[in-house]
Amino acid sequence: MPNRRSYAALLALVGVVACNEGLQPTPLCAPNAAAICGRVTFQGTEPDSTEGVLIVAYPTFPQSRNDLLTFQPFPPPPSLPRPFAGSQFYSLPLRNGRYEWVVAVWKKVGAFAPGFGNADSLLKEAGFYRDQTNPTAPGVVVVHDSSSDSVNFVIDFGNMHPICTYFPPCP
Amino acid sequence: MLGALAILPLRAASAQGTADLYGSVRDSSSQPLRATLRVVNGDGVSVADAQGHYRLSVPAGLVIVRVGSLGFQSLDDTVTLAAGDSLERDYQLVPAVVLLQPVIVTAAKHSQRLSQVVTSVALVSDTDLARRAVTTVDEAVDKAPGVQFLNGQVNIRGSSGYVQGLGSRVLMLVDGVPANQGDRGGINWDLVPLEDVARVEVVKGAGSALYGSAALGGVVNVITREIPTGFHARVRALGGAYADPPHDIWKFRDYTGAQEGLDVTASYGTDVVRGSYTAGGWHSDGYREQDRRNHWQTAGKAQWLPSPATRVTTSGSWASDQYETPLIWCTQGSCNDRGQAFQPFMIDASGRGAFTRSDKGYLAATVERRVSERFAWQARGSWGRTHFTDFQPTGDDWGVANRYGVEFRGEVTPPGDRVVTVGAEGSFSDVRTNIFTGDTNPTSNVVRTHDQRELAAYAEGERQVGTVRLAAGARIDHIDVDGGGLATVLSPRFGVVLPTARVGVWRASAGRGFRAPSLAERFVSTFVQGIPVVPNPNLRPETAWSVELGNAATLSSAVRTDAALFWTEAYDLIEPTVDSGRIQFRNVTRARLAGVDLAVTATAPVAGLTTTLSYTFLHARELAHDSVPERPLAFRPRHLLTLSADYQHGAIGVGGDFRYTSRLDRVDIYEPDPRVAEKVLDLRASAVWGAWMLRAQLANALNYIYSQVPRTLAPVRTLAATITWTY
Repeated sequence: MPNRRSYAALLALVGVVACNEGLQPTPLCAPNAAAICGRVTFQGTEPDSTEGVLIVAYPTFPQSRNDLLTFQPFPPPPSLPRPFAGSQFYSLPLRNGRYEWVVAVWKKVGAFAPGFGNADSLLKEAGFYRDQTNPTAPGVVVVHDSSSDSVNFVIDFGNMHPICTYFPPCP
Repeated sequence: MLGALAILPLRAASAQGTADLYGSVRDSSSQPLRATLRVVNGDGVSVADAQGHYRLSVPAGLVIVRVGSLGFQSLDDTVTLAAGDSLERDYQLVPAVVLLQPVIVTAAKHSQRLSQVVTSVALVSDTDLARRAVTTVDEAVDKAPGVQFLNGQVNIRGSSGYVQGLGSRVLMLVDGVPANQGDRGGINWDLVPLEDVARVEVVKGAGSALYGSAALGGVVNVITREIPTGFHARVRALGGAYADPPHDIWKFRDYTGAQEGLDVTASYGTDVVRGSYTAGGWHSDGYREQDRRNHWQTAGKAQWLPSPATRVTTSGSWASDQYETPLIWCTQGSCNDRGQAFQPFMIDASGRGAFTRSDKGYLAATVERRVSERFAWQARGSWGRTHFTDFQPTGDDWGVANRYGVEFRGEVTPPGDRVVTVGAEGSFSDVRTNIFTGDTNPTSNVVRTHDQRELAAYAEGERQVGTVRLAAGARIDHIDVDGGGLATVLSPRFGVVLPTARVGVWRASAGRGFRAPSLAERFVSTFVQGIPVVPNPNLRPETAWSVELGNAATLSSAVRTDAALFWTEAYDLIEPTVDSGRIQFRNVTRARLAGVDLAVTATAPVAGLTTTLSYTFLHARELAHDSVPERPLAFRPRHLLTLSADYQHGAIGVGGDFRYTSRLDRVDIYEPDPRVAEKVLDLRASAVWGAWMLRAQLANALNYIYSQVPRTLAPVRTLAATITWTY
């Protein structure tokens, strides 16, 4: 027969297990959140056909068109909020790991065709995080159970590059 | 030889004609009893009516009549009658202390004592249902040992994971009639009004040997109330309120959300015909943004009992829901995030305005006849229908599905404590839709129709050999889709039950389960969060072998335990796969789900106090395949702990449940998002005054904020009270 001591032990177990407070408010780029954060600065004039601008990261720099679909996070985050002028803070939740290309993607208004056959006409690279010592090369970011902040870069609407710039030929 | 000679005259006499025995059965205070009278040495059975009167046709000659009623000592009477005789015999039964063993009907498709079942079964009794001030069956079943709901999708020992309600690996029955959706294969838990539910039986492990597809992980049988004789009525009113967000930065409205509802049930029954009807509805403001819901329901049941051995039952229900769809919660930039990485009470602006209308119903008719003490049969037909429309800013999705089913089942009970169940079953499902079309272009709005047929035959036998009870059976299913053969699957099952004097009752079983892909999984063509979901018409059925070893023991007069080791090897599991920027259901996963179920029930040290501890340890792994290394199966928690306590003092009762679910090791979408363990405390109280009963429940009393699936807030603290008047 269970005695009162058993019940007290059970209640203590409930108390211990229940003491965690669950999900808590998490400010953007909180220290304990796996994410990269920074500030993007907009340059140039936003094209009229802009649907949005979003930031994604690639664990390795894409080697082919097929690799363009290996971005993280998946599904992609929502577009950065308008206005696309001046500068704004961003935060990108990511699983722990090393990311070789943190890139802003400009999306034109329109729907993707099956198999993303029209991706060339709808997507452009609008800027990426650059290596601090070699600004022509992408910068590497490492995420490990904490935010990597100051991943700052420029989004230049006047200097965007279609996919074929990286993977020719261009149509 | 002498015995055979002694029987000869009886057989000879019986061949010559019958006689009538009539009279009454009463208890020691002359109150009538609805007793059963059975001829022990021949055919003949009768049930006394509400006044205790009976009439029994018996073979002419020497007959032994056994008179029995629950809670009373049986009585044997020996009489000799000539053909055409009519003899009055009145019986009086004396009370007896009877230790009631739960009787279940789902595990073997016939009534059997719980201690004779070869697999694990969790029972949610009418008392368990009544204790909770809830509105749907899933809320009541949620705390059953080894059972977990993930955002409405039922998991038995981690069977289903979470696929937005599609392709349940648990089969839902309503009074034994399959009720999973014809198109999506999911379960509508609000199909049957909770007020009409008498109890729920949850059979764990592969049940395909009797139930076929979908019973891969288990079976949930919702059993509706018997209709009593006389006129009865019940009115139940529900009121409640949702807690506000615990942090100001999460506030999303300036009022407190509420819920309210009303159900009315009336029934009338005689010894020959009975009927009941329930109607009602409820409204909820929801506990988060864009979460309001209206629910309307009606259900009826009618029975005709032309003889004590024959019962004809028709039943049906219809429910309509109109609800806003919260989709996913807001993350940075997708709403007014107030500088937060996520806003769990607010929704992603891309889903603003989304709502769903969902209508569903079923009709079923069953004829049951006990032809003799040795043979009974049952035939049934059913029709289930669902019609949903998801109204979305990006375009509406809709589907209208039907599921027609027929079954014939015979139960043979040869001498020697044996039972043989044989049957045949067929079903036809169709869907007309713009989302489960099979079109390879998810942006098109083409409308198409698909159908699926299933034909099956099954047999299972049980036999007592000494103290051991053996069971073996198999079912063969043939499935075709759109007129083309899909698969033929054989699902055998073996089991043994061994009662022992010192270490309780041991049970062991091994069975094969399977699930045919739902029409939705094969033909879905849509977008989810902007990602195309493409069809896969080549999906094959998924299969699994389940093995279980269990023990039920009574450690003392106050403590009972039930423990089980289980092991499932799953093949060709159908899971959503993200690849090349699109989602597709594929047969990819070879998986292993193993673990331990443990339940301890104690009724001490305080009189009136009942406590239950149940724990499930689950080791669920997706085994290495292609280039994917071995990893945890998505949406399967490793630990599931439930503590329940109820104290009853006279008309007052109080109680509570605490559920701990460990943090999910893996999710397959939004993986970087924060996720926490589930720690939910529910408190309840009840009081009875004559015909009035008041129940209150404080669900998630600690207002613990968590999500079971990514970006979907689980229910916050909710106070609900019901008041029921019964006539």
